[in-house]
Amino acid sequence: MDIVIVGSGPSAAASALALERVREATITVLDLGTQLESGRQAALTAMANTSPDRWRAEDLDLVSSVPKANSFGRIPTKQIYGSNFVFENSGQLDDVDADGEANRLVVSGAYGGFSNTWGAQLMPYSTGTFRTWPISRQNLEPHYREILRQIPYSGESDDLEETFPLMGTPDHLPKVTHRTSSVLQRYERRRIAVRRHGVTVGHARLALNGSACRRLGLCMTGCPDQLIYSASQSFDQLRARKRVDYRSGMRVDRIEEDAAGRVSVHATEVSTGQRRAFSADRVLIGAGAIGTTRIVAGSLGLTDRSIMLAESIQFMTPFLSRRPVPELTQDGEFTLNQFNLFVTFDSDGKEAALVHCYPYNDIMLASLPGFLTSGPLSAVTRTGLRRLTVGLGYLPSWASPPVELRIGRAKADDSLPPIQVTSGENEATKPMLNRVIQQLRRCGRALDLYPIPGQTKLSGPAKSYHYGGSFPMQAKPFGEFSSDLLGRVGPWRNVHLVDASVFPTVAATTFTLTIMANAHRIATEALRGS
Amino acid sequence: MNTSRVAITGATGYLGSVLSDHFSSRGDEVVALTRRPPERAVSDWRHFELGRPVGGTIFQDVNTVIHAAWALSGKDTSQLWRENVIGSRRLIEAAVTAGVQKVVFVSSMSAYFGTRQTYGLMKLAVERTALDLGCAVVRPGLVYGESPGGMAGTLRKISRLPLWPRFKSAKLFLAHEDDVAQAIARVVEHYDELSGEVMGLANPQSVDLPSILAGLSPEHKRRLSLPVPAVPVMATLRLLEGAGVPFPFRSDSLLGLIESADLLPGQERLVQQGVEFRSLGGAVRD
Repeated sequence: MDIVIVGSGPSAAASALALERVREATITVLDLGTQLESGRQAALTAMANTSPDRWRAEDLDLVSSVPKANSFGRIPTKQIYGSNFVFENSGQLDDVDADGEANRLVVSGAYGGFSNTWGAQLMPYSTGTFRTWPISRQNLEPHYREILRQIPYSGESDDLEETFPLMGTPDHLPKVTHRTSSVLQRYERRRIAVRRHGVTVGHARLALNGSACRRLGLCMTGCPDQLIYSASQSFDQLRARKRVDYRSGMRVDRIEEDAAGRVSVHATEVSTGQRRAFSADRVLIGAGAIGTTRIVAGSLGLTDRSIMLAESIQFMTPFLSRRPVPELTQDGEFTLNQFNLFVTFDSDGKEAALVHCYPYNDIMLASLPGFLTSGPLSAVTRTGLRRLTVGLGYLPSWASPPVELRIGRAKADDSLPPIQVTSGENEATKPMLNRVIQQLRRCGRALDLYPIPGQTKLSGPAKSYHYGGSFPMQAKPFGEFSSDLLGRVGPWRNVHLVDASVFPTVAATTFTLTIMANAHRIATEALRGS
Repeated sequence: MNTSRVAITGATGYLGSVLSDHFSSRGDEVVALTRRPPERAVSDWRHFELGRPVGGTIFQDVNTVIHAAWALSGKDTSQLWRENVIGSRRLIEAAVTAGVQKVVFVSSMSAYFGTRQTYGLMKLAVERTALDLGCAVVRPGLVYGESPGGMAGTLRKISRLPLWPRFKSAKLFLAHEDDVAQAIARVVEHYDELSGEVMGLANPQSVDLPSILAGLSPEHKRRLSLPVPAVPVMATLRLLEGAGVPFPFRSDSLLGLIESADLLPGQERLVQQGVEFRSLGGAVRD
């Protein structure tokens, strides 16, 4: 059986992992496959085999440079190993436009997709989230477990387990920073005072090989030891085991299925511009929600119209503490998200927001204007930074503005249609955000973590990268913009959408594990039905 | 009715004893999961202590677990949380993993979303785990009987005072112990339909404090009651607790009394199964 997987991000990787043991499946992966520049890769290789005190300064500078903020208080676009390769246009961003503050960099051509730069958060969705889904968490649980078994996974047993079970045995997290430790200890002592406000505090759960962590302080610019999971790692393993035929440099433009159910995938070889066609019994599209939507819309003639995507909007909220941390440094720390504040307004975790809290790292310093970081004010700035924790929070899609995707008509046959990313409106966003901040403020004294008044900022449309739902799964699909439980959009029978494009909603809680579990489920069940 | 092997945690406590007797009288084999062997007759006893590691064999040949154990006082809140919440989570997970077919968690009407009560918040936290794992959750109201324990036992003692306190907002749902036992037995019988649900076990009419005291008093008669402001009483109780002065009524219990749930969940499901709760009102004479 010939299977084609489109893309190499988390959903594509999860599909491939599900199919790996199906002996009769011949798996071809079509991907743009942009990789880290060779100079940076060489520096990384040298550093990974050396103790930090013997690293060459130029290697370190090359792979740990910090992006500059475009405006005060805004988080700059994350680089990885000093590179923008994840966001580089390898053809996938041609004819992609965005209005105003909307994000244009919505499709990645990188090997491993956006998982090269993600926050590495790994929690399942709450049971409440599935109230509006046609599948339950119980349906997904074996797939959650299988994914967590196959990728690096670190976390701790704590109160977040009530809503987000561990579903496996994670590795321990590396030693957390002074601030995290203080907040968690205060929560332990003042738990009831915090829980009364609907807030639960717990450790981060990360796609990280925690026990191997050397605490180099470089998580946010890229772990030199590559201990943070990227979907490319799964493909590296599958390729090494010769279970997939990986074809990079391919931009998939169009898919068609004939009356007999045979599928043709039309792609462009980006280096030569040549058109290529691949034939398959089944195709799994995991090009990221917007990338997939664009391919499907173009292939099925769903152009000259708008599609609304559900986004779980991101917000940034800084906290100050009364007690400063003893030292302002990222050296000797691990600097990924360390603890989470889960704010819920119901008992099963549907009406909820999640705030990922980050201790000090050099990106915070870099996001400040120069006059605050050098000169007479720098001492004051450093005093403030010793009390600062940055929270990156999310609201659920039903309380977030939708992302409108305007899809035009392709300029030529077998090419992708142009798309424009535009912001929608949702009157529920500000009230919910205010409620979340209010509850966090009420916990300020108990946790010594006070949200700074007036400093919470919503990110622009599509900047959370937590979006999907262009073809939501339905038990009985209705209309052009829907899919069945196996991610199939009519009239296709053997083409499956496996990424967040099939999510009915996007919860505020961590996103990627559910994408992977659902892709794993779809691939498993699709092949079982063959 | 098929008999089964029912393991009950907290089988030596007030409600646990009632359940133990009820299931034994039905012909079920009752396995008491307790720290010490129970004085009343049961089919089997296995050592279990909430908050301690759960032994792998305690669920052997058990097809139903009713988790009614709860540590109430004498320790700090963090320790109570570890014993009750983490301990219950480990117990329920172990039961499900061991293949126990039916797990019923005995929660409380104090466990409603928005409660400020420590006891209610803890029960609510365990409910999440139980529901996530597909178990049934029951929330008995104030359970009373001939010799009630727990809160009803304390209120019965208060009913002997010549003058009763009256808190304006204090209204509770009540349930006779026999009705609670029958309801839980019905939940076990109809587990396939009722698992994954939260069901309030009480008469649907909430009752104010003087009526509760009258109903629980030996002569079932009202006495003079005096309106009492809750805030200073609460502050006094907290002061006493802070100073380590033993007092039979805790501030957290008072909070449960004056900020009680106003909704009884899952009533339709229980009514469909023919579950009914007698009212306390009939016993009261003005």
